[in-house]
Amino acid sequence: MILLRRQLPLFITLVTGLTMATQYYVPHPVSEELLTSVTKWLQIIGGFALVLGVTSLFHVHAVKIRRQEAGWGYSGVLYAGMLGTIAVGLWANGKESIDGVMTAFGWAYSYMMVPLQGTMFAILAFFIASAAYRSFRARSREAAVLLAAAVIVMMGRVPLGEYILPLSGDVSQWILNVLNASVRRAILIGVSLGAVALSFKIIFGVERSYLGGGKE
Amino acid sequence: MTFAERMLKIDRRIIFLVIGLCTLLPLLYPVGLPIKISPEVRGVYDHIESLPERSVVFLSFDFDPASKPELHPQAIALLRHAFKKNLRVVAMTLWVTGTGLADQIITQVAREMEKENGKDYVFLGWSPGNTAVIINLGQDLYKAFPSDYGGKPTKGLPVLDGVHSLKDITYLVGLGAGNPGVEAWYVFGKDKYRFEMGGGCTGVMAPGLYPLLRSGQINGLIGGLRGAAEYESLIDRKGTAVAGMDAQSATHAAIVLLVIMCNVFYFASRAQQGRG
Amino acid sequence: MPFESIIGAWVATGLTLFIFSFLYKDNPVFKVAEHLYVGVSVGYTIVKTYDTVIVHLIWKPIVENQEWMLLIPVFIGLLMLTRYVPKASWLSRYAFAFIVGVGSGLAIPRTISSFILKQIEDTIRPLLTLMPGEGVSFTWNLLSPASGVNAIIILVGVCSVLFYFFFSVEHRGPGKAVARTGVFFLMIAFGAAFGYTVMARMSLLIGRLTDLIEFSDASYGRPTLWLLVMTIGLLIVLGRRTRSEPPQEG
Repeated sequence: MILLRRQLPLFITLVTGLTMATQYYVPHPVSEELLTSVTKWLQIIGGFALVLGVTSLFHVHAVKIRRQEAGWGYSGVLYAGMLGTIAVGLWANGKESIDGVMTAFGWAYSYMMVPLQGTMFAILAFFIASAAYRSFRARSREAAVLLAAAVIVMMGRVPLGEYILPLSGDVSQWILNVLNASVRRAILIGVSLGAVALSFKIIFGVERSYLGGGKE
Repeated sequence: MTFAERMLKIDRRIIFLVIGLCTLLPLLYPVGLPIKISPEVRGVYDHIESLPERSVVFLSFDFDPASKPELHPQAIALLRHAFKKNLRVVAMTLWVTGTGLADQIITQVAREMEKENGKDYVFLGWSPGNTAVIINLGQDLYKAFPSDYGGKPTKGLPVLDGVHSLKDITYLVGLGAGNPGVEAWYVFGKDKYRFEMGGGCTGVMAPGLYPLLRSGQINGLIGGLRGAAEYESLIDRKGTAVAGMDAQSATHAAIVLLVIMCNVFYFASRAQQGRG
Repeated sequence: MPFESIIGAWVATGLTLFIFSFLYKDNPVFKVAEHLYVGVSVGYTIVKTYDTVIVHLIWKPIVENQEWMLLIPVFIGLLMLTRYVPKASWLSRYAFAFIVGVGSGLAIPRTISSFILKQIEDTIRPLLTLMPGEGVSFTWNLLSPASGVNAIIILVGVCSVLFYFFFSVEHRGPGKAVARTGVFFLMIAFGAAFGYTVMARMSLLIGRLTDLIEFSDASYGRPTLWLLVMTIGLLIVLGRRTRSEPPQEG
């Protein structure tokens, strides 16, 4: 059983990983056809992965409603929103607009989802301001440097800042283009090296957490 | 408790009120301060400006309603520019929750500029698979999207005449709010399929894309609402981004003042503690 | 103004204000809007996935074009769903093994090419430029990103930050100086990132307030004003009810 449950999946990862990595350097039509087919398959599998992602949410809230746990009414609102959207979505064949005319599904998207999601993230504006006031203090030399860079960039990227401090625009441009770019580049190189190393570990079966738990 | 200490522990709702007013008042009473154009934004504009008529521009709207205020005006401005130049536009999204927005944007601008679906532009819609979709588009566009958003087969559409894959497009602009976004279009697209590419992104992502800009991997970058405002100024069609710039100025000034105040009170309270 | 737009404006304004009410304090009105957001988003994703994947990527190509090979990814996808059947959940490993293997294989060469080689190549730029007739020159212009002086700064920045992150030995002597330089570069980049994050967050607020201002127009029936009064009233009532309720035990 261990062969079927652990060794074979690891072997599949090894073969597919090495094949796809090598494919990049082999521009033969057969190799290119393989890439086309496999990426097409990934598109379809990606759809199933999305389903997998959302179904756990169904379960959690269904249990809450069934047991009438604290706040189960909110779970009811969640279910109502979800089922209502699915109903109008299927009615509209999954289209927000047909020939430029908004469907009920498009209405739910434009007047419910867009403002809800937009506002959820917009309230962060208030919290970042509050956090800046409470914790952005020049406690050390490093913190002072961070603070100065933030102030220059904040002023240099808005018309009022460029009007009051004409130099702030050029200085913030230099900070972004040179100092920031060098740090981001170092981070990018470092992260990429890490990602490549992790990919090799996955292919060669050193990293196996994606297989999930279990004894076998 | 000293005055400085009391000020440091001020109710956060007062700060919320200050920020709310600093945003609201300039939106109600705009001043219209001039906007300077940065070389990054000009890079995208100049490239589109240099393209011959009927060139194929590929736009990927990889964002959702959470970043609509920043990327929606960028998308509108880019589309207006491309349609004004009479370029063919192929649009899509890698973000499922961005499909409706992308559809709205392209329908609205196409109607405004009197462009025909299938002939002047096509909206391919969304497909799962993230980076695999990019590679598949690079291999065979018709396999990745056998039909467009409206369900019409993509094969035979006049807008895609001569376009078989990403290798055949003239310019690609990825408008990304995260992953997959601009970086993914470079790594899984441009790296192999060799098209010219520009980027647009949220303010949070912009600093991280400067290494790609410097190395010429992308030839321009529209960053956040400010970038959108610059692009609107360049095409001479002022929209929501330019209108928001005064509010952006006021809120930035408010935060800088808050940071200065917090430091003044912090050092004052430290000095008092030292004396005590 | 079309009727659905007017109703839409009222709904959008109400939901926006419900979320904003969190700024005062956490309350049931916010929670309703929050749960509705999750529900609508999940419903939307399900519908789009069904329409795109089942209808357009699976059903139509197989039924209309006889692309039977597409049954392979369907099978792999179904294997993935066995995760919900405890006795057969191990079968999902095959699906994950395939996805992770292909994903890793695709990423390795592309990441090396795009992010490692290209970035290193641009870091090691020539410092001097050879102009015909003018000879060799070194540019000091800080504002030109391609100048010689900026090339040196970038090289120093990249090396010192990489040194700070990668060499986990005790930083002493010259190593300490390099690491300290790296820290200062990092602080400047974090400052710039903070500045841009503030810009982004404020933009989102501007976007929402722009909509609220638009919906305060008489053509919509001024939903912003009416619903603002209603939301404040609701918060007051809810606040009083919470205060009058006896504290829960435990």
